[in-house]
Amino acid sequence: MKRWARWFPAALALLLLVLSVYPLWATGYGVRVMLQLFMWIALAQSWNLISGLTGYVSFGHVAFFGMGAYTTAILVVKGVAWPLAAVAGGVMAVVLAFVIGWPCLRLKGPYFAIAMLGLNEVLRVMASYFEGLTGGGLGLSLPTLDASVRIYYAMGLVALAVTAATYVIVTSRFGLRLMTIREDEVAAEAMGIDTFRYKIYAFLLSAAAPGIVGGLAARDMGYIEPISVFPLVTTITMIVMVLFGGKGTIWGPVLGAVILFTFQELVWANFPHAHQILLGGIIVAVVLVMPRGILGVLQQRYNLPRTV
Amino acid sequence: MAAILQVRNLVKRFGGVTAINGVSLSLEAGKIYGLIGPNGSGKTTLFNCITGIERRDSGAVGFKGRRIDRLKPHQIFHRGLGRTFQIIRVFPELTALENLLVVTTSEFKPARERAEELLRFVKLETLADEYAGNLSYGQQKLLEFIRVLMSDPDLILLDEPAAGVNRTLLNELLDAVKALRDRGKTIFLVEHDMKVVMGLCETVFVLDHGEKLAEGPPGVIQADERVIEAYFGR
Repeated sequence: MKRWARWFPAALALLLLVLSVYPLWATGYGVRVMLQLFMWIALAQSWNLISGLTGYVSFGHVAFFGMGAYTTAILVVKGVAWPLAAVAGGVMAVVLAFVIGWPCLRLKGPYFAIAMLGLNEVLRVMASYFEGLTGGGLGLSLPTLDASVRIYYAMGLVALAVTAATYVIVTSRFGLRLMTIREDEVAAEAMGIDTFRYKIYAFLLSAAAPGIVGGLAARDMGYIEPISVFPLVTTITMIVMVLFGGKGTIWGPVLGAVILFTFQELVWANFPHAHQILLGGIIVAVVLVMPRGILGVLQQRYNLPRTV
Repeated sequence: MAAILQVRNLVKRFGGVTAINGVSLSLEAGKIYGLIGPNGSGKTTLFNCITGIERRDSGAVGFKGRRIDRLKPHQIFHRGLGRTFQIIRVFPELTALENLLVVTTSEFKPARERAEELLRFVKLETLADEYAGNLSYGQQKLLEFIRVLMSDPDLILLDEPAAGVNRTLLNELLDAVKALRDRGKTIFLVEHDMKVVMGLCETVFVLDHGEKLAEGPPGVIQADERVIEAYFGR
């Protein structure tokens, strides 16, 4: 235990150092793969903040990603610098979370999940409908720009920031109180915890990174359309990554994102047709064999602290 | 002495069922009160209405001279009214210590210090870092009991504190309740174990079909014809 506590931060620092110099010798393809991995870590980690901690399953989390993507794309087309536009995307996602969370976080469990699913569908249709602003079904093209190395750093920074935020939250009383909502919301209320306020906080926090990351992804892709930034499968992938790694843990979402993303890349490259079947198989296997995920199982079995 | 809790003409309906039908009662500070009645007589519903978990249909609940019947449960808790549940509601995937740390402490003392003190008080200190879900039934019951003490409430509602607790543990629990009373706290408890009720409570309320059937010292209640009838039939 003690040894683990000593070498883990050192290994983490080394890993961060390697990743920070990686673009110097990597190929363009390598950089783009890694920036996508960072994106998935940020997305999975964000979903974990609301759903892993409070137990309120968001089935429409990609809505914040899409909101960020459209906000950023529209601003970039108008001439705003992309880093600033991506931050604006994050802000808009948080605003959306507030507008949606205020009524919907009063709903219990499954109803909230359905409401979030509906939100995403509504936003996708709206993106197609308001052609003047969004280009409708034709989408929006951003001015060409080769910024993948800069986007790599930006994505990495966001992934790092959400993970650091998760660490701070999970090791604080604020985080414990979020977990009491998952464990027993009525008891949490009876113990003086303003559950609605705590859920709103968690929801706003969980929307920020997907908004920024959506903006960065839009800049990276150079072209967005409603179906490319509001796909249900993105939400499902976030969920599977978190469940696989261990929901409610700090490193579970990172672990899940790394393993599943790597797996997806390998399978997709080698067996394009079997890709979906294998992903589906993993979902079923995880839910059946280890519903707590890799870290959840390890924590339970060896009674490890939350920080592992 | 002024009443710490006043319930006036409280009514609670669930669809066509009237669970609480015009109950009034008054508790004075620094005493132990009991609430008894057959199954389904409305004891837990009354507790839920007082603590804000259920919204009453009519009537009023006053606590320390202010109305609380429109407040949310967490607001009522912060006024100094805590409770435990009939069916244990600890947070299973939080450790015993964490179960306590989530509660805001009212006194100026670090939460961790207070939590460790309470764990020692019920002899659970060695299990502080164990997940609450892994504790035995009796241990969870004790954990829930000390969890409500974290904030040092003035009135504590205990919903069947003795159920499923072995004799040794029970005596410790009862001693703890008496110690709280001696510190000026008010206790209101639902209990089926008549020995516990009769030995502990100064005043007992009897509920039947959502109505207050009787009220008085345990000795008088035990001899009351209507109470005997409600429990055992004619």
